[in-house]
Amino acid sequence: MVYSLVRPVLGFLRGDEGKSLAPPGIVNRNSVWLSGMGWVSAMLQNAINHRPPLKSGVHRQVLLATIGWFIGYHITKYENYTYARLDRDMNEYIKLHPERFEPKEKKTFAEIVEPFHPVR
Amino acid sequence: MTFSHLLTRAVHINRAGSRSAFTSSKLDTANPNWLRVGLAFGTSAFLWGLLFKQHSTDVHEYKVRNDLQ
Repeated sequence: MVYSLVRPVLGFLRGDEGKSLAPPGIVNRNSVWLSGMGWVSAMLQNAINHRPPLKSGVHRQVLLATIGWFIGYHITKYENYTYARLDRDMNEYIKLHPERFEPKEKKTFAEIVEPFHPVR
Repeated sequence: MTFSHLLTRAVHINRAGSRSAFTSSKLDTANPNWLRVGLAFGTSAFLWGLLFKQHSTDVHEYKVRNDLQ
């Protein structure tokens, strides 16, 4: 029930066309990094307040790491959607303007290189 | 009255809206605030559940829209 309330909030990230994209895995780069940042900031808060960094405030460490992982997943989703959109637009442009993307004639090195006359 | 005399009087009148550093208490690390601990763990569990639910919905949508299911 709560999920159906939250989904419209997060749905703005991709839009309707974005839903046909493959979603990122639960484990993804942004998630790992941001949850690590959250964990480190919890430990930093412990250290600043003269508490043992790893053993104290485990609930804080878990909460901040979770928030980081969650935000990272949605950032990865938005990142994939953005790159897919840019790729699609680029390929459409290439298709519409083939005269700008003609394959260049390729010459081998043997044809370009001048004959070698050593001067010893 | 001098300025410092006015200030010292202010210590005794501790109205809401301002805190005097002379009256705050030290952190009590021996007795954790169990409400806050419970809220933190509960929010974490909720977020993890939300994440897994959202992921499975996304995977399902992807399969349906690309006729893989």
